[in-house]
Amino acid sequence: MARITVDPITRIEGHLRIDAVVDGGEVQKAWASCSMWRGIETILLGRDPREAWLFTQRFCGVCTTVHAIASVRAVEDALGMEIPLNAQYIRNLILIAHALHDHIVHFYHLSALDWVDVTTIPQADPVKTAALAESLSDWTRNSDKEMKQVQTKIIGLVQSGQLGIFANGYWGHPAMKLPPDVNLLAVAHYLQALEFQRKANQIVGILGGKTPHIQNVAVGGVMNAINLNSLGALNMDRLYMMKDLFDEVIPFVQQVYFVDAIAIAALYADWFDVGAGVKNYLSVPDLALDPASTKFDLPGGTIFDGDLASVHPITSSRDEYFRKGVTEDVTHGYYEGRGAQHPWQGETKPDFTDFQDDGKYSWVKAPRFQGKPMQVGPLANVLVGYALGNELMKKWTDIALAKVSEIAKRPITIDKMHSTMGRLLARAIRTVVLSELALRHWELLVKNITGGDSTSYRAPSFPKGEVQGVGFHEAPRGTLSHWVVAKDGVIANYQAVVPTTWNASPRDEGGTPGPYEASLLKNPVADAEKPLEVLRTVHSFDPCMACACHTLDVEGRTIATVKVL
Amino acid sequence: MTTPATIAVLGLGNVLLGDDGVGPYVVEQLRARYELPDNVTVADLGTPGLGLTAHLSQAEAVILVDAVAAKGEAGELRFYGRDDLNRLPLNPRVSPHDPAVQDAFWLMDLTGDAPREVLVVGVIPERLTLGAGLSDRVRCACEPAIEAILGELARLGACAAPRARPGVPDLWWMAA
Repeated sequence: MARITVDPITRIEGHLRIDAVVDGGEVQKAWASCSMWRGIETILLGRDPREAWLFTQRFCGVCTTVHAIASVRAVEDALGMEIPLNAQYIRNLILIAHALHDHIVHFYHLSALDWVDVTTIPQADPVKTAALAESLSDWTRNSDKEMKQVQTKIIGLVQSGQLGIFANGYWGHPAMKLPPDVNLLAVAHYLQALEFQRKANQIVGILGGKTPHIQNVAVGGVMNAINLNSLGALNMDRLYMMKDLFDEVIPFVQQVYFVDAIAIAALYADWFDVGAGVKNYLSVPDLALDPASTKFDLPGGTIFDGDLASVHPITSSRDEYFRKGVTEDVTHGYYEGRGAQHPWQGETKPDFTDFQDDGKYSWVKAPRFQGKPMQVGPLANVLVGYALGNELMKKWTDIALAKVSEIAKRPITIDKMHSTMGRLLARAIRTVVLSELALRHWELLVKNITGGDSTSYRAPSFPKGEVQGVGFHEAPRGTLSHWVVAKDGVIANYQAVVPTTWNASPRDEGGTPGPYEASLLKNPVADAEKPLEVLRTVHSFDPCMACACHTLDVEGRTIATVKVL
Repeated sequence: MTTPATIAVLGLGNVLLGDDGVGPYVVEQLRARYELPDNVTVADLGTPGLGLTAHLSQAEAVILVDAVAAKGEAGELRFYGRDDLNRLPLNPRVSPHDPAVQDAFWLMDLTGDAPREVLVVGVIPERLTLGAGLSDRVRCACEPAIEAILGELARLGACAAPRARPGVPDLWWMAA
């Protein structure tokens, strides 16, 4: 028996730690823990709710925009405000562009190398790689010349003994199964992906003023001046600059990312049998289509016990099913007390102990929906959309599953999506759905503006007394909700229930583990010193402990990476 | 050395976590008080992951300002070049925050658009706990940090001049 601790202290604080007991080549018990106090919301107490988004945008340097928009939505909800249509479309376009960027980065730069062995690339045949690529996709940058160039770069790295960016992989691991040609193709696209994630982010910059911190959001709408003929405003030039960027990014998503995800899923089809964990899913509706935020392009809802027939829709942020359903349990978190509280009543009083297997062991609270742990993220989004009959989700899920089944030569059906590979594939499905919706929302915005509507903002007004609201967003990592209580125009309570707290949740009062913890049960581990398979399952959730700090560690400590006790 | 066509001065760090906000603080001071040549851009990037590559790739030379976990007293400055960063190990990447500054440079080496001049102006922090605002020692380090940036800009052929009428730095997170 071995106990593995994966504990990357790359930012000194604020990271995710995974502990797993391994016996007989499988994980028998697991703990997910966050090593930094997450009470960052307390910085908002006593502040003007109109400025909260500026601060929440700094919770996380990777998901800046999502926290900005969830925050203004929460305050608008508290005030019962409608916002102009242009503001909805502009926010939607920012959220779509951000998600395209984020999902591309996750697949290629944060998770692909769990499956792709870079060190086999010298054995690849670039001509065969190009032929394989051309059999899978119409992408124009799959030529043998392109593949040869990438191979030459990688051979240079391997021969120099300095693997550079690839220095920390588990190369040669027995769980790596792809043939060298596929590895070469994946790394060629890994490099191209860098270019396209940047283009997606440029769209955020055009609308938001700057990245990574957008400037244009406001409680009541957006601050983009809209004037088709003015140089400084959102004009035809900028709208078409944005369209041109979408026109470059969308083919990359549809012809490269989606295709690669299908190929990897099919070639590792046994990973559809691993990592289901918590089969309760939560997703919220997003991409609002009306000023009151009651109609959406992407539906939300819940699924329990993996039963798609159990799907229950969440209709809007006013839906009591959602508003009353969410609690946070602190029994195993480093906070005072036991049991669960609603976010509007939630307290954040630290009570730090050491890591206690059966006691308190994480700075993450345990969010629950109707008392149950929920998995959030693209898989939840896709399954809820599929179960509710959303046309785009159904179309792309069916295409993906048919293609995976064809390549894997075994049927992979929707029920196989409850798995580590299901999460990876679902992210690609969601991305391709968003790539279709991108142009739709661009057209909606252009049509609304050319129809003569140039309003983008309504000033909020705060009543005397107490108001409370929730703003949500189906973020790249899943359901994000900000809960605000304002009294006489200042913030009296603020809680952000972020996607990774749902997924990295510790056990609750009843001892029920959270999604990471549950998904790791029975996860194979060939070599406890190199727990690649554990990382595959953890990475499939796209973890992001918000509130990172950015101190550069110049001492080069190699750092309790993986510890086997 | 030929003068770089583009130079980026980038502040890194979380303004909500005490001295981790030193990078953003310094670049806002610089922007408000100095007239910079047209080829110099200044940005507060917060706590980016690989998003950093987008900003690095646009510049031939970069100056990064960040808190550094180095041996020494709080408020001391440390300087690092690309060679120093190359010596740091790559750590396992679990979350999108984990790819560090060195990862971003490695990645750009591969695509061939890494900046050719790199200077990290590091400040040793005193506290990285929740709360906006710098400790006294780190605040005192900001003037020498600005001097160091101006010196590097001059070395790169980009001379900054104090503004006749200095602006007010946009330190919104410091307001009560």
